[in-house]
Amino acid sequence: MPLDITLYGIQMPTLLPIFVIVAILQVTVDSIIAETGLYRHVWHPGLFKVALFVCFFTLPCLYIYH
Amino acid sequence: MLPSKVMPSSQSLAISVKNTFEEWLVKDAPTLIYMAKATIAALLAMFVSMTLTLADPRTAMFTTFIVMQPQSGLVFSKSYYRVLGTIAGVIMSVLMIGAFAQEPKLFIFFFAIWIGITTAAGVKYRNFQSYGFVLAGYTLCIVALPVIEQPMEIFQIATSRFSEVMVGILCATVVSEVLFPRKLSDSLLSSERERFENVFASLGNISSLFGAQDTKDVDVVKFSSGVVGVHAIAVNSVFESATDKRNRLYLEQLNLEFMHLSTTFHSLKNIIRDIELRASASTVDALKELYTPFAKVLQSIPKFNDAGFVDMLNQLKELKESTHSQVPINLKSDEYDTFNSAAYLVTRVVEEYFIYANSYYAYIKLKSSGKVSKELTRVVRFKTHTDNVLVALAALRGSGVLLVTMAFWLLSGWKYGTLTITMSVVIGLLIGTLPRPLDAVMNFLKGAVSAAFVAALYDFYIVPEYTTDVYTLGLVIIPVFAFVGWMTTRPKWTGFSLGFVFLFFSQSSFDLYYKIDPTTFMETTIASLLGVSFAGAAYILVNFWSCSLSQRRVAKVLRGQIVYLCNAPLNLQRGSLESLGRDMIQQFSTQGRLNNRSSRLVYEWLLTTLEIGGAIMRIRKNLNRLEAECKLVDQTLEAIKEYFQTPTEALKQTLLDSLESTIKSLHVKQKEEIHIIAQLSLIKTILLSRVSIPVFKEDSCR
Repeated sequence: MPLDITLYGIQMPTLLPIFVIVAILQVTVDSIIAETGLYRHVWHPGLFKVALFVCFFTLPCLYIYH
Repeated sequence: MLPSKVMPSSQSLAISVKNTFEEWLVKDAPTLIYMAKATIAALLAMFVSMTLTLADPRTAMFTTFIVMQPQSGLVFSKSYYRVLGTIAGVIMSVLMIGAFAQEPKLFIFFFAIWIGITTAAGVKYRNFQSYGFVLAGYTLCIVALPVIEQPMEIFQIATSRFSEVMVGILCATVVSEVLFPRKLSDSLLSSERERFENVFASLGNISSLFGAQDTKDVDVVKFSSGVVGVHAIAVNSVFESATDKRNRLYLEQLNLEFMHLSTTFHSLKNIIRDIELRASASTVDALKELYTPFAKVLQSIPKFNDAGFVDMLNQLKELKESTHSQVPINLKSDEYDTFNSAAYLVTRVVEEYFIYANSYYAYIKLKSSGKVSKELTRVVRFKTHTDNVLVALAALRGSGVLLVTMAFWLLSGWKYGTLTITMSVVIGLLIGTLPRPLDAVMNFLKGAVSAAFVAALYDFYIVPEYTTDVYTLGLVIIPVFAFVGWMTTRPKWTGFSLGFVFLFFSQSSFDLYYKIDPTTFMETTIASLLGVSFAGAAYILVNFWSCSLSQRRVAKVLRGQIVYLCNAPLNLQRGSLESLGRDMIQQFSTQGRLNNRSSRLVYEWLLTTLEIGGAIMRIRKNLNRLEAECKLVDQTLEAIKEYFQTPTEALKQTLLDSLESTIKSLHVKQKEEIHIIAQLSLIKTILLSRVSIPVFKEDSCR
C-alpha cells in the first residue's frame, strides 16, 4: 500500500483516512462492549480501550510500513 | 465513637492520624492527582508535537489545559465540541480567504457576521456545546488573520492548527482515561446520595415548614442550579461509554422527580408562611396535623440500609392512601379554600416523595447489584429557555468588538494589530458564556499580566540558560504546568487561569527553535493586553441590561407560559415546564444582573407560575376525563387567561369573583369534582396571598 494517497485532489498520508476509519470502528466496538456489560469484568476499562485502539490502528500501519 | 478522653493516648493519636489521612485522601489527593494528570498530558502533547515537528507546539499544550477536566466524561465532551468547533472554524477560514482575500470590506463584513453568529450561539446553547461555537468563532481569527497578506498560506496554517488541536486533545483524553480515571457516574452517585439525604432531612423536620422565619437569603440560585447542574453532568456522561443508557435514564428520572418534589415543597412552604400570617390558628393546626404523620415516618427511619428503605416505602404507601381521607372538622367557611389548597399540596409532597424515594431506591440497587427493579423507558425532556434580548446583545457586542479592533488595526497599521483583534474576540466569545462577565474580564486581565511576567522569565532567562533539548525544556516547565493545573481546579480562579493560560502560551518560546527577541515580546504582549482592554470596555459599554428590564422579561415569559397552558396540548409533560422555568432563572441570575432581592422575587414568580400552570393543566385534564361540559370552569379558565395576558386590577377582581362563584357552585355538585375544587382553590389562595405573581411592578427594583 502506498504511503500517500490522493483523495479529491488532496494528497495526504494514508494514515489519516485509516485513523478516521479506526476511530469509527473504535466507537462502534466500544458501544457494543458497553452495552453487553463486558466492561464490568475489565480491571481498567480506560486502559483497555486505549490498548484496543492501539491494536486496531497498528495493524494497518504495520501493513503499510512493513 | 467514644470520646478521646477515655482512650489511651496512642490509640487516639492513631485514630486522628487515620482520620486526617482519610480526609486528605478525599479532599486533597484528587487535586494533586489532577495536577499530575494535567502536567503529564501537557508534557506528552509537547513531546509528540515537537517530534512530529508541528509548526506551533504551544497550541497542542494549550489545548490540553483547555480540555482537561477532573472527570473523563467532561474531557471527552469538551474535546468533542472542540474538534467540531475547530473544524467549523477552519473550513470557514478557508472559505473566507478564498472568497474575500482581495476585498477587505466584504471580508470584514462577513467576519463580523460570523463572530456575531457564533457569539449568539455560544450564549444560546448550554454546556460544552456553547464552547464549540466559541471555538468556531475564534479559530477564524487565529487561522485567517495571520495569512491575510499571503492568502496562499491558508492551507498550511489550517492543517497545522487542526493537527495541533488534535494532538492536544488525544493527549488529554488518553491521560485522563488511563491515569487514575474518575468517572462522572461515580460523582453523580455521590451527589445523588447527598441530595436524597438533604431532602430527607428537610422533609422530616416539621419546623422547617411551620413557623419558619421569612428567610430573605434563600439560596435561589441553588434552587435552580442544582437541577440544571445535575442535568448538565448527566448529559456529559453520554461520552463515558461505560455509563450505560439505563443508568442515565435513571439519573434523568431522579432529577425530574426531585425537581417536582422541590417545587411542591417550596410552594407549600410559601403558602404556609402566608397562612400563618393571615388565617386562624386552627387552620394552621389542622395542616400541621395533616403533615405530622409523614414527618414521623421519616423520623422513624434511622439508617438507609435495605431494610430501612423497604420499611419506609411500605409506611409511606399506607400513609399515602390514608392522607386523602382526612377532612378538617372545625374550620371557618371562608378558610376552607385556603386549607384545601395547602392540604392538597401536603398530599402532593407525600406522593412525590414516595415516587422519588422509590426511584432512588431502584437506582441504588442498580448501582450496587446491577439488578433492574423498575424499568424505565420514558425519556425525560429537559427544556431550556434563553432570552432573545440577551442573545442579541451578545451578538452585537461580539461584532462590535471585532469592528472596533479591526478599525484600530487598519488605522494604526500595526503589525501586531491582529493579535489585539484575536484577543478581544476570544474574550468576547469566551467570557460571554461565564457568569458575571465583567469580573471575569478583570480577572482575565490580572491573569494575563502575571503570565506576561512569568513568560518573560522563561523566555529570557530560564529557557536560554538551562535548556538544551526537549527533555530539559519539559523539565523546567513542569512547575508552570502544575500551577496552571492547580488553578483550573479552583472555580474562583476561572477568569484568572484563562488569562494566564492564554497569554502564557502565546508569549512563551516553547517552539522547535528559539526565536524570540525582547522587542517582539514587548510588542506582542502589549497587543494582547490591548485586546483584553478593548473587550473589557465592550462589556462595560454594551451592558444596558438592567434589573428592571430583567424582571420585565422574566415576568413576560412566565405569564406567557400560563397563557399558553390554557390552550396547550393535554399531554404536555410537567417536567418540561419546570425545567424550562429553572433554566431560565439560572440564565437570568448569571447573565442578567438580578440582585439578591429581585432574584428572591423572581424565584417566587417561578413557583407561583408553576403552581398556577400545573393547576390549569390538572383542571383541564380532569374536565377531559369527566367528559363534563362545565361552563363555569371554562369561564374561569378564560378569566385566568385574560388576566395573565394583560394584568390589571380590574381583571384580577373579575378572576377572583369567577373563582369564588365556580368553587361555590362546584361544592354543591357531586363528589367527582373535588379535584377541580382543590385546583381552583389553590389558584385563588395564590392570587390572594402575599406571595407575588409574575407581574412587574416599578418599585420592586429599588
